[in-house]
Amino acid sequence: MKNIEATVRSLRTEPPHGLEMRTLIGAGAADQVTTIDSPFGPVWVGWSIRGVTGLTPRFACETVDDFLEIHRRNAYPADTIPRDLEDRIEDALVRGATMDVPVDLRGIAEFQRSVLSMCATIPPGTVRSYGWIAERLESPGAVRAVGTALGRNPIPLIIPCHRVVRSDGSVGNYAFGPEMKRELLIREGAILV
Amino acid sequence: MLVDDLDEGFSHMVHVFQPGIYSGAFRLIRHPQDAQEVAQDTFVRAYLALERYDSERIASLQVRPWLWTIALNLCRNRATRAKPTTPLPSEDFVATTDEEPFDDEEWNARFALLPGPQRTAVVLRHIVDLPISEIVAITQRPEGTVKTDISRGLARLRKILEAEETT
Repeated sequence: MKNIEATVRSLRTEPPHGLEMRTLIGAGAADQVTTIDSPFGPVWVGWSIRGVTGLTPRFACETVDDFLEIHRRNAYPADTIPRDLEDRIEDALVRGATMDVPVDLRGIAEFQRSVLSMCATIPPGTVRSYGWIAERLESPGAVRAVGTALGRNPIPLIIPCHRVVRSDGSVGNYAFGPEMKRELLIREGAILV
Repeated sequence: MLVDDLDEGFSHMVHVFQPGIYSGAFRLIRHPQDAQEVAQDTFVRAYLALERYDSERIASLQVRPWLWTIALNLCRNRATRAKPTTPLPSEDFVATTDEEPFDDEEWNARFALLPGPQRTAVVLRHIVDLPISEIVAITQRPEGTVKTDISRGLARLRKILEAEETT
């Protein structure tokens, strides 16, 4: 009989295909991405087990590789998204029910995370100024920094940076153009100047 | 790497250590689905712990023995659930060496004949390829006892095989 140690070593086995990916996703260390329909055409959605991590309209990001390029986290393409999450995102995009969508802001610098979290409290149909967020964060001088943080919002439409306007009431800038921002606000019933 | 970027460091950790944990867990609990769950749950628990640990604690971690301490607890919890072994789907289960075909059911039965500490020590030393010092840390048994467990476990497996050859 051959060496028993070598025989036992020969019993080593490889893990099943996909276990590593399932583990990373299951732990929350990696995301999944897919596209879903919206009133603005298809959108890429990235999500972790804790919530939505990224969203970009396909007109701004054509392929999944383009989206993965800009997505801040490791992610795997998926065929489907959990039904409950999809329903919540749809409610947010169609009816402005953004507060019901769980979001995962891990990996975002502290100040920007605070800005995004404050922005997420703005109800549909209402607008706030960049200064309002700066004051709420007890950084009244940081109006420009608030604008920069919102301009890099990784989950637009869900974290409603479109509800933040200039202090004179004009809509101001938006990643997908001021016209789309205006359309979003009108759709939600906001009163614009 | 874990301190600088948790997700990237964690991904690396899964890539490097999960194959060993799966392989060892399979021989310890002798059930492929349970072994997959152990190999996955170990890292889910590790990730949740790492999120809570400060950078000093993460930097001082002996990662592999720490992971195996979690994995071994999970294996013990599952071992208390009596479960028959089942044949493995061939595409999910591939031996890393093909020196000679072996029957997993037969090997599971042979490992089942070893006392728990011997089985654990043999698996950690010769299937997972851990050094004695790490097995001591994981099992919390003295070095001499671990070495004895390994040699007695191997001797028992050899006897089992010899008995099979003579019948």
